[in-house]
Amino acid sequence: MPTRRRIRLTVNEQPYEAEVEPRTTLVDLLRGELGLTGTHVGCEHGVCGACTVLWNGRAVRSCIMLAVQADGGTITTVEGLGRDGELHPIQQAFLEEHGLQCGFCTPGFLMSIYELLERSPDPTDEEIKDTLGGHICRCTGYQQIVAAVRSAAAKLRSPAAGGYG
Amino acid sequence: MKPPLFDYADPRTVGEAVALLQRHEGEAKVLSGGQSLVPLLNMRLARPSILVDVARIDGLDYVREHDAGLAVGAMTRQRTLELSPLVKARHPLLHAGTLLISHPQNRNQGTVGGSLAHADPAAELPALALALDAQLRAVGPNGERTIGAADFFVTYLTTALEPSEILVEARFPLLPERTGWSIMEVARRHGDFALAGAISTLTLGGRGEIAATRIVLFGVGATAVRARAAEQMTMGERPDARLFERAGQRASEEIDEPLSDVHAGADYRRDLARVLTRRALAEAAARAA
Amino acid sequence: MAVETPRTLAEMPTSAPRFVGRPVPRVEDPLLLTGRTEFIDNFTLPGMLHCAILRSPHPHARIRAVDTSEAEKLPGVVAVLTGADVKRWTQPTPTVPPGWGGHCLATDKARFVGEPVAAVAATSRYVAEDALELIVVDYEPLPAVVDAARALDPGSPLLFEEHGSNAMLQRVFTWGDVDGAFAGADRVLTDRFRWHRVGANPLETFGVVSQWDLVDGSLTCRGSFQSQFHMAIARALVLGLPSHKVRLISHPHGGSFGGKGGARGTDITALLSRKSGGRPVKWIEDRMEYLAGGASQAWDRHYEASLALKNDGTVTGFRVKLLDDLGATAEGWGAVSAAKPLAAFTGCYAIPTAQYDLTIVATNKLPGSPYRGMGPPPHNWVLEQMMDVAARELGIDPAEIRRRNYIPADQFPYTIASGNEYDSGNYEATLAAVLEMSDYSRLRAEQAEARQNGRWLGIGLVNTIEPGVFDWNAYAVVGQPGTGVPEGATVAIDLFGKLLVKVGFALEGQGQYTVISQVLADYFGVELADIRVVPQDTLSAPPHFGPGGSRLGVAITGAVLGAAELLRRKLVKVAAGLLQAPPEMVELMDGKLRLRGVPGAEMSIAQVAGAMLARSDLLPPDVDPNPEATYVWTAPGRTPADDQGRAKSYLTAANACHLVLVEVDIETGKVEILKYWIADDCGTRLNPANVEGMTQGGVAQGVGAALLEEYVYNEDGQLLTSTFMDYLLPSVYEVPMTEKRALVTPSPFTPLGAKGVGEAAMHTTPAAVMCAIQDALAPLGVRVREVPASPHRLWSLLKEARRS
Repeated sequence: MPTRRRIRLTVNEQPYEAEVEPRTTLVDLLRGELGLTGTHVGCEHGVCGACTVLWNGRAVRSCIMLAVQADGGTITTVEGLGRDGELHPIQQAFLEEHGLQCGFCTPGFLMSIYELLERSPDPTDEEIKDTLGGHICRCTGYQQIVAAVRSAAAKLRSPAAGGYG
Repeated sequence: MKPPLFDYADPRTVGEAVALLQRHEGEAKVLSGGQSLVPLLNMRLARPSILVDVARIDGLDYVREHDAGLAVGAMTRQRTLELSPLVKARHPLLHAGTLLISHPQNRNQGTVGGSLAHADPAAELPALALALDAQLRAVGPNGERTIGAADFFVTYLTTALEPSEILVEARFPLLPERTGWSIMEVARRHGDFALAGAISTLTLGGRGEIAATRIVLFGVGATAVRARAAEQMTMGERPDARLFERAGQRASEEIDEPLSDVHAGADYRRDLARVLTRRALAEAAARAA
Repeated sequence: MAVETPRTLAEMPTSAPRFVGRPVPRVEDPLLLTGRTEFIDNFTLPGMLHCAILRSPHPHARIRAVDTSEAEKLPGVVAVLTGADVKRWTQPTPTVPPGWGGHCLATDKARFVGEPVAAVAATSRYVAEDALELIVVDYEPLPAVVDAARALDPGSPLLFEEHGSNAMLQRVFTWGDVDGAFAGADRVLTDRFRWHRVGANPLETFGVVSQWDLVDGSLTCRGSFQSQFHMAIARALVLGLPSHKVRLISHPHGGSFGGKGGARGTDITALLSRKSGGRPVKWIEDRMEYLAGGASQAWDRHYEASLALKNDGTVTGFRVKLLDDLGATAEGWGAVSAAKPLAAFTGCYAIPTAQYDLTIVATNKLPGSPYRGMGPPPHNWVLEQMMDVAARELGIDPAEIRRRNYIPADQFPYTIASGNEYDSGNYEATLAAVLEMSDYSRLRAEQAEARQNGRWLGIGLVNTIEPGVFDWNAYAVVGQPGTGVPEGATVAIDLFGKLLVKVGFALEGQGQYTVISQVLADYFGVELADIRVVPQDTLSAPPHFGPGGSRLGVAITGAVLGAAELLRRKLVKVAAGLLQAPPEMVELMDGKLRLRGVPGAEMSIAQVAGAMLARSDLLPPDVDPNPEATYVWTAPGRTPADDQGRAKSYLTAANACHLVLVEVDIETGKVEILKYWIADDCGTRLNPANVEGMTQGGVAQGVGAALLEEYVYNEDGQLLTSTFMDYLLPSVYEVPMTEKRALVTPSPFTPLGAKGVGEAAMHTTPAAVMCAIQDALAPLGVRVREVPASPHRLWSLLKEARRS
């Protein structure tokens, strides 16, 4: 019945081609055929945010997106943050502020925060909460994640951001 | 939680989309943002034989002025609506409503047309459409037609769209002068579907009396509900707390069969409707002054 | 033989500790932050198949036939497993209490909606789920029982006919002259409480990859195991394999909180691997499977409790009657949650007599599992709410009534009525701290003023013991055998002075690898980056248990310090030989083996290790040429439980005092947490940032339990809360940011004086929030006695109160 589709997408600045069943979710394509296992699956119905990636610069839930919907698009996953083994300032901020415990939800948070800080380099508390509100963390109780976001924003705004800001 | 097998088409024009829906009548589902549909596919609760993805149809993503209102293309992402300076400046009620929709990650993908066509009774956009008397433009095999919001939302998850029709645009009238507004809801958590919500607009006349009122309740019945009797009750009256209290009581009686689920029973929803109507009227009145 | 290890930081061989006690960034984090940690679903093997599980739609049904013929024909399907296979190949799973479990697939009957009935291994999870739809099961539905009280009625449907009843356990434990205390009381208060099902929900569900080697008859399972050793033992018993042929490898996992489980999934994938010619089979539990069929539900409880009081507020007796609805089997180890309250039955109070009337009953719902806190969270709510009721009745301030009942600071170690011993504590100090932080008297004034303005604020002031370092004897009352929980570590130094530490557990979020690194870096005078912690599988690791019962921070510190001490002895002997001095003159200090009193006469640990490895001719005869040592730590002084369950069980007693300010919207029933203060005392804080993280995480789960999270079954045994749309986990909007203050009363019993803190605020927060809500609504005549305090529930209570 269903014909497989050939799709093309750019992921972390690398071009990829894949042949997928239309029913293959974007997160399964990323984690499976593309081997980018940093994005995690927590619920498969669009609530927990663990699967969040950037699609054409927007944070989306890749568990409720079909791979075919992403055809022709640009995707950034957690593997695309940071450079040459160095942590991105957002990752560095999480490290310093103890913004993670088990780390399973963390890549999803990082991508949403990346979008937030691109759009709003000096975010208000409301904006921070609005972004974080789309994610569930079961370990940290969020206090240190909020601290990490503020620290990351400051880092990216500073002249020392060196190419990241 | 993996979807069942289905076919997939991504037409480039509205005409192609309609033709596909016609050819697969009853067995096709329209995919726009997917925020409601894909979870159902993952749970195998939806089993279409073909998905018709309308996201690649050009020319359906826009927000612009039209007559005395805003015309919004059906494929406009909810996030675009939220961040639109035009909407923020010209239609604060519509803007405030978008902030209540789920979370930014959902709004990045979810579309205005998708939300309206899905017609969840607890969703904000269908309720806003009803409150504002929006005009919904649809295209089908017999051409184009415009459906008023009052006729568009038929019952639970059901609109007046024929199986082969797709929504292409929603037109939201602006609020008249001297009109205050309010949208508020009670939900278990921020961003969750409302257990109950109320939208109110309130227009003051020359002598400070109420010239026009809109009260829409959502999350309480099979569709959003216009509380017309409660609206009538306020006409010509001066805005005050006792009036709003009585209007709230009246509005709560206008819900036929309040929904009952694991989070809220019927009685509770009815009472929330009463409380929220009163609070929304008060807030709208304050904004009108 | 136990080894002497440093009791305090001052006893460490370092002149100035650089790491222990500091909030050092975690060594685990860079891999986690870059998405490179190998969670189980990131792991693949060549030829690996994917498993999907068919589950019972009935709460109780006989299984007459399972037809898998169509499923087997689907392209991509390699093997199908049914109850018939499982009956042939496995033993029933061991349970506590014993005899209340079945096999990994339902064989003769299914006992709960979601129970596995058949399983498929296919080339992808997508295909495996397609195959499930082709399996036809002939069910004969049976009457189901979903209500705990009805399950005890003589005519009730029986879950295990052979037991003749659904009562898994019925016992009364009496400590001291309880009857006398109640007879002689000035006041007796009695109340009832209902706590609904709630559960762990780590962000990562359970996952496993099993491979059955048909040639040598061995099984290898990789998975997100919280306790790999116990899982391995149980797999050997259930699958009929010799223990040395079962190897479990725990992967770092995305949280657990006691709720990872995995027994059925491991057995199912193992048998599918066997059936598919030895191909590896992976099963990743999806979220709906977890909620309905996983280790996801706990504490389905009906309480009746009584306090015997003197007029001055002194509590002389505490009675608890608990009906614990454990669900369809005891396989999840949920029964131990009914036993753990004994470890701190009377909380912070010197209540001399107590009684526990415990009934554990089976119903046609998901078997209960452990969840962070392991039972005390509901128990503590009951006790603390009763204290508030007593305060109100007697006209005493809630802070004062607690103060009057505290175990005094000079009476530790203190043995409580139910038998456990608290190591140390100063409850007056924690209370005073939280009252000061919150400006308590001003808060009460604010509350009174708010009431005048029609705003309903409530204050919850609650203190609890957070027992740490569990022992099996804590659960003797529900049939758990054994005393003593080992934790082993091997510490090795290489030629270059780098340290390798081998342990028996993988990471699940508490930062233990960092704590290990901190301790050893200070001990051996090296940098954190000079240490590498490597988890070992069940066949290679020293005896171990891993995380659980707030034990691992203390236990692994004990293990590595013990290994360090044994290693130090070797190094000292070798260095003494090389320095040509008596060993008593050689000491380890700041990373050097040096001759006391002779400046400059010293060797680095790398030099000594190098000599051991390269110059066996220079070694003393009683030293083996291996710069490595292994030590297995267990808690000292544990005792077997007596017939009333009394035992020295949990080694440490951390304590915390929480003060919560809430506002209740009495028209909608919604609760908002306005402010939250915490004073906690967990002894020496090995890494304060870890402690604060555990605390805040516990607050989040506690708020979830108090306000949002509830598994709801209808009367047909169907789970209504089957997704995250209905089982509501708190987000950043629902969790308060808390103000925390640390007090330190070290433990006299543990290495470096630290106390267990992994379960932390979960013991305390539900009680704090619930007591705050009750405090807000008391003037309206409302009694809040059901958890969670959902808006609908509060609205109903308020409506009823208005009527009467």
